[in-house]
Amino acid sequence: MRVELTGITKRFGPLKAVDDVSLAIGEGAFFTLLGPSGCGKTTLLRTLAGFHTPDAGEIRFDGRLVNDVPPHRRQTGMVFQNYALFPHLSVFDNIAYGLRARKVPRREIEARIGEVIRSVQLEGLEDRAPSRLSGGQQQRVALARALVISPSILLMDEPLSNLDAKLRVSMREEIRRIQQGLKITTVYVTHDQEEAMAVSDRIAILNRGRLEQVGTPAEIYFRPESRFAAEFMGSSNILEMEVAGYDAGSALIAAAAGAVRILVRGDEPPAGRIVLSVRPEWIHVVPGPSPGETNCLAGAVLGSTFLGSMVRYRVAGPGGTPITIEAHDPGERPPVGDGETLWYRIPPEKPVVLGR
Amino acid sequence: MRRLFTGWNLLLALIFLILFFAVVYPILTIFTASFLHPETGALSLKSYAAFFHYPYYQRCLRNSLFVSTVATLLAVAIGVPFAFFLSRYHVPGKNLIKTLGTLPLILPTFIGAEAWLILLGRNGLFAKLFHQFGLEIPTVYGWKGIVLVFTLQFFPFVFLMVSAAINAIDRSLEEAATNLGAGRLRVFFTVTLPVVTPAILSGALVVFYLCIENFGVPVLIGEDFRVLSVQAYNEFISEMGGNPAMAGALSMVLLVVTLALTLLQKYWVERKSYAMTSLNPLEVKRLGPLATFLIWLFCAGIVFVALFPFAVVMVSSVTKTQGPVMYFGQWSLDNFIRAFTIAPRPIVNSFFLATTATLIGIVFGIAVSYLLVRRRGAVSYLLDILVMLPLAIAGTVQGIALAATYNKGFVVLTGTWMILVLAYFIRKAPYSIKTTSALLQQIDPSVEEASINLGVPPIRSFIRVVIPVMLPGIVAGAIIMWVTTLAELSSTIVLYYGPWATMTVEVFQRIGSGDFGPASAYATILILSVLIPLFILNRVSGKDLASSL
Repeated sequence: MRVELTGITKRFGPLKAVDDVSLAIGEGAFFTLLGPSGCGKTTLLRTLAGFHTPDAGEIRFDGRLVNDVPPHRRQTGMVFQNYALFPHLSVFDNIAYGLRARKVPRREIEARIGEVIRSVQLEGLEDRAPSRLSGGQQQRVALARALVISPSILLMDEPLSNLDAKLRVSMREEIRRIQQGLKITTVYVTHDQEEAMAVSDRIAILNRGRLEQVGTPAEIYFRPESRFAAEFMGSSNILEMEVAGYDAGSALIAAAAGAVRILVRGDEPPAGRIVLSVRPEWIHVVPGPSPGETNCLAGAVLGSTFLGSMVRYRVAGPGGTPITIEAHDPGERPPVGDGETLWYRIPPEKPVVLGR
Repeated sequence: MRRLFTGWNLLLALIFLILFFAVVYPILTIFTASFLHPETGALSLKSYAAFFHYPYYQRCLRNSLFVSTVATLLAVAIGVPFAFFLSRYHVPGKNLIKTLGTLPLILPTFIGAEAWLILLGRNGLFAKLFHQFGLEIPTVYGWKGIVLVFTLQFFPFVFLMVSAAINAIDRSLEEAATNLGAGRLRVFFTVTLPVVTPAILSGALVVFYLCIENFGVPVLIGEDFRVLSVQAYNEFISEMGGNPAMAGALSMVLLVVTLALTLLQKYWVERKSYAMTSLNPLEVKRLGPLATFLIWLFCAGIVFVALFPFAVVMVSSVTKTQGPVMYFGQWSLDNFIRAFTIAPRPIVNSFFLATTATLIGIVFGIAVSYLLVRRRGAVSYLLDILVMLPLAIAGTVQGIALAATYNKGFVVLTGTWMILVLAYFIRKAPYSIKTTSALLQQIDPSVEEASINLGVPPIRSFIRVVIPVMLPGIVAGAIIMWVTTLAELSSTIVLYYGPWATMTVEVFQRIGSGDFGPASAYATILILSVLIPLFILNRVSGKDLASSL
């Protein structure tokens, strides 16, 4: 099912929890709403489920306006952050709940539950009480309960946040696998950017109720449109520099911070300040300055962390702002100590010129 | 969704209406009456002037405060060591002692008073026993007797609250103190005791409140020692239609005291208590044989002395009696036969009224709990206060207020059974609301939303998901409502009329006329009606019956 949101606004008192959000979610897509706590992602998801009525805007499922459809008629399957299993019902009865509400014949209920229980790997736990399940098992019951009604959209509200780190990784892969198998349109809410990248076809980044950017994980990672998107998705060095010149032939911008000058590929910027986003892994550590090489810079090491596969340096960057540089395969080169000078190079084609 | 909100608002309005007419308006009525001149009906401070002019009235207040203070101190003195011994040390028969130790607080106090009259009254068993040896022993009448009964029946509140606080202490707390170099006594006085102190204060306040609001004990054994609740009742009934102003003024004085205690509890003690989650409870220590025997003797002895009177009442109900004289050792079922054949009406009345009030209370309790927990809004705070207010009003005062309000005008309820049901359900509903909302609070709202999301409309979702989860709380609340209603004397005595006398009234009047045998028979039926449901509740749910009071 396709989902279209146009101009959705939801207020709680003076606060605009969701502010004029428009989105289109394609048939069968795994779509993630990503943002920090309080950004409005859960409110937006609950608006899709029908628990909130938007103050303005339209929600359309397959083109049909559903603003006034009550939550129990929306045919969405929701997985709640705390699972919301019915404590007085067994695993089987929890999963059967929605089917019984739909007056599905008993024979069919049993068949469909058998199937969904297999797909979430809960065989043998049908008669257990929810309180006697582990966190991961409860998660699977919640997922099975939402899936078994064959919802037109699957809604998931931070479903993995109550699990430990290892289980989180394996569960997200499983969720992705099940979603791919069923080709069910899924809206997923999380504040974890890594989780979002791992599972999503497309991601919408929300900040203070407003949409920052929508795109595939790679689009957002490599071409963030705003400083917020650049910093929230992965980590990023933000460099604020002056435009010192532009060469239209090579499409290179000369950017300056104090005495330091670097070249950056991009369209002609307006005069004045320019904001660049440079991922730590895009910066190369070099042994020293080499003739003819552009963008070779040096900075004092402020601190470093050894992480096995890499060393993460904190270095005085252009204009003195500290920047983060990741040196991969640290065994190759002797480490640079605190206070010593580190030489590094920023390839001109890498930095992203941010609009805002 | 919007239509539903109106539905909830309608319910809210209805509940406020009930609370207004059952609680607020009656209190306002006696408040106003207390400022009217008894003869002319003009605005006057005569009643309050009388209160402050005649030492007699002031003495009632002083007496009330005096017995309550002494009984509270004694209850703390017994309850605190009782709790510490049972929580921290190995005591033989601990579980039985704990269970029996909580019983006194659910057994009707006036039955306890009756038992002590049987034992230590003028014709009492002990008096006669000692008389044979030429010894005169003190009787139970007056303030000492009141203090005795209060102490023995209310110390379990201190015990329960302090126990709960001790069990909430994590072992690491004391270990940390020891690790920092404190000796055993130092740990106790600098860590354990301070942490438990709010619970002690809390228990003490509850006991003080129960003492000052109590009617049955002082009216039965106080004799010339008049307390406020008894005097308010006397003023109200003595000159029938007589002096509502004076009764109102005394009720107001009592109300001010009980409200002050409740506010103190809510805003001072509750703030001071420490929220802790105990992962490793304190170690239960095993003492030497002599010390173990001594603390066992203390705990078992207290429980014995507290429960012995009720055994006496039950024994005397099957004993041959003639007026106040009991022929112990001569068994007879006459008292029960008379109760069931000649005067069965009070038994029927009690069960009918308690059941009706409980059924209304259940519905009311569920509705209020849901509104309080799930539909929190601007008026929730007010609703919470109003619905819990009856707990802070002495039964006598509530009875007087209701009787004075509904004896004339558009709705005349005084003299009907309905006013009893109204008083009962409004006074006992807080218990149901407490147990129900406590459970409701543990259910995340998303459980209900999950049901709606799966296609079940809101009202049906509530019935199919929320009610079943609340059920244990509803049942526990209903049983507590039912048993405390059966045992309710203070408001009944003001509100009942002839044919609607309950068992409690019957016990009260039979004792007054020295008819101890039949009194004991009704009292025994009451004791069993209270104990059996609580025993079943305990067995079925493993729920500590007293934790809900």
